[in-house]
Amino acid sequence: MRLIIREDPTSVGDYIAAYICKRINEYEPTPERPFVLGLPTGSSPIPTYKALIKMVKDGKLSFKNVVTFNMDEYVGLPRDHPESYHTFMFREFFSHIDIPPSQVNILDGNAEDLVAECKNYENRIKEHGGIELFLGGIGEDGHIAFNEPGSSLASRTRIKTLAYDTILANARFFNNDISAVPRMALTVGVATVLDSREVVVVVTGQRKALALSKAIEDGVNHLWTLSALQLHPWSLIVVDEDATAELHVKTVKYFKSIERVQDEVELAQQQLKARGKITSEQVGSLE
Amino acid sequence: MYTSPPPTTTPSNGLICFTNCLLPLEDGSLVSQDLWIDERRGVILDAQKTFYMRQERPSRIVDLEGCILSPGFLDIQINGAYGFDFSVYEKDDETYQRGLYTVASRIVETGVTSLLPTLVTLPSPLYPTLLRLLRPISAPGCATLLGWHAEGPFIDLEKRGAHESSYLRKAECGFGSFEDVYGAANLVEREDWDMSSVDGVDNDGMGVGVRVITTAPEIPGVLSAIEECVKRGIIVSIGHSRATTPLATLAILTGARLITHLFNAMPQMHHRDPAIVGLLGASPFVEGVEGVEDGAVLDGSEALEFSPKRLDDTASLPGSTPISRSSSQPPTPTTAKSINRPALHLEKGQIASMPFERPFYGLIVDGIHCHPNSVRLAYSSHPEGCVLVTDAMKILDPNLSDGIHEWRDGKRFVKEGDKLYLEGTSTLAGSVVTMDKCIRNFSKFTGCSLGEAIKCATYNPAKCLGIESRKGTLRPGAHADFAVLDKRGVVRATWVAGREVWRRT
Repeated sequence: MRLIIREDPTSVGDYIAAYICKRINEYEPTPERPFVLGLPTGSSPIPTYKALIKMVKDGKLSFKNVVTFNMDEYVGLPRDHPESYHTFMFREFFSHIDIPPSQVNILDGNAEDLVAECKNYENRIKEHGGIELFLGGIGEDGHIAFNEPGSSLASRTRIKTLAYDTILANARFFNNDISAVPRMALTVGVATVLDSREVVVVVTGQRKALALSKAIEDGVNHLWTLSALQLHPWSLIVVDEDATAELHVKTVKYFKSIERVQDEVELAQQQLKARGKITSEQVGSLE
Repeated sequence: MYTSPPPTTTPSNGLICFTNCLLPLEDGSLVSQDLWIDERRGVILDAQKTFYMRQERPSRIVDLEGCILSPGFLDIQINGAYGFDFSVYEKDDETYQRGLYTVASRIVETGVTSLLPTLVTLPSPLYPTLLRLLRPISAPGCATLLGWHAEGPFIDLEKRGAHESSYLRKAECGFGSFEDVYGAANLVEREDWDMSSVDGVDNDGMGVGVRVITTAPEIPGVLSAIEECVKRGIIVSIGHSRATTPLATLAILTGARLITHLFNAMPQMHHRDPAIVGLLGASPFVEGVEGVEDGAVLDGSEALEFSPKRLDDTASLPGSTPISRSSSQPPTPTTAKSINRPALHLEKGQIASMPFERPFYGLIVDGIHCHPNSVRLAYSSHPEGCVLVTDAMKILDPNLSDGIHEWRDGKRFVKEGDKLYLEGTSTLAGSVVTMDKCIRNFSKFTGCSLGEAIKCATYNPAKCLGIESRKGTLRPGAHADFAVLDKRGVVRATWVAGREVWRRT
């Protein structure tokens, strides 16, 4: 696991966007071999989306050959409701980039058979050869996607009842009317996320600080589902200074030093590649 | 100002995305947002539905470089332009229709994409001829002609303004007199009028046809005619009138919903009898029906039931009605349902229930017909009713130089900027201001934002005419008529039905 610390949410967004841009461009996606990207909703990823949009507008990045899978969607909320994740993704991201609509996948919270919808979603991911990079955010209780505390770390895409905390947190989007907040959601499972080849998580703000420390300083724990990331071979968490408030100084220093070493290693690898010494594709990062 | 995108390699799907632009919304705000249209059908799209349901995104992107993408302007009072006078019938139908075409095709340079040709008071026999020709027409590349606005002949002699006194009429037979003058075929139910066509020119069922009659309620017989007009879907406007407060109020209760060129050709506001102008400040306390001497029939059962009944209506007290929150439904941009709020209520910033809605009012904002203070006064008292009109004469043409120009009957105009006199007099002879200039003036005079000024030339007039789902709005399903403005309010380009029809060069 790598932890990257940046000054503020905007720098975090810029960092992740640059990272995703690099990954997509190096992958050289084609219609036959698209880059499969997992995407989150919520306020944390917005700076990342903004930065990605700018790259598309500047011609540095294209989503023409990218297939996306979103993490979750409310159950029973009309697709064009202002708080639906369909609306969020269209408003904040898809409308501004060049992705063909047919390459966008979002769970249908209004499907007649919700269980079948979840099953099909997992199958669709598999048909695309799995997710190359899953971008995620976390809740204050450390949930990734709607995998609330107590979710099985082996869970797949399924119907999930929202934790009371999450309902309270989301009430602000529904005129502070708790009864208007949907009680259920469809969400990819923890294992669905872990199955992807790479996971990038954005954590910003003081309110997420405890969840971050629980996820990386304590052991793997289903009450802080992000901690499952510790079992993933290629993960990256990008945080701002505020989100580090609950971490040990030692932890922060350690990860900062990793970042420097990682830069040096990457540079060396690049030079080797340029000299033709590396031929096979390398995945993974320095631990 | 802005450039078309380089031709794309992908085949066109007929959809356009306007980007890098500000959209004026129906609440007067300007938001930075893209707009998607279907250029083949000429309508605005629900972008999100198009993306997820139709699985399409526009193949063509138009970068507006920060400009404002306004709904095309509506002008609901315009007497003529580019040398053509809607009130003059020369030779034959074809000549008249050519004149209409000239105006409709050229007016788009002022950002106007819908207009309502307005007739001054004419000799009675001329009405049926002209009104028959003033059908809703939407020719390619042209502004939409919405129908007609007849100013007179049922107006007050003392407030006739530039109207010819010998042509003025009374309505002794009420609506029958209206039919005599305008022609019964032109006053049929809106639906039938919409369906009919003139000489092979088909009204394509756009559902935007409108008819407006400006009349003075004190003219005998007019009040009862108003009622029948309203039933048939004709919009009645109070103007060229000396109506007192009670009578003006009664006219509104009877169904009139507009005031023609506010402040002009009506009594000035007296604080004890604020008359027509005072309708903008209509108080919830006033029922306004006593003191009416006209023998006209009043549907009292409706008009009289207001404040006394509601005062006792405890069931409508705040808090006693459960508020249903339908979070599962997308908010629709329809007008708010009227809430039954008693005369003494507890909701700050809200107004007690009114016996009627205050009318829309046309304002000529050329800086001459109304002082800027008057413009601001009217707008502050009733912003939702404000409708900008040019009331322009046939010499309206932004390219025309100052000097002396021919009018008719040997009379000549003197044009000095936006001022227009009869030669040899100091009498104002109508206006030559363009709608885009009215908007800039309005913003300066009232201090309101450009977005709020735009609303008075788009959404408000469309709402007044009852066509706000098709015109004057950027709602999905509305016609893709646009005025592209820079941030100084200057028209850079105009679009009609999904096509660019004019661009500043």
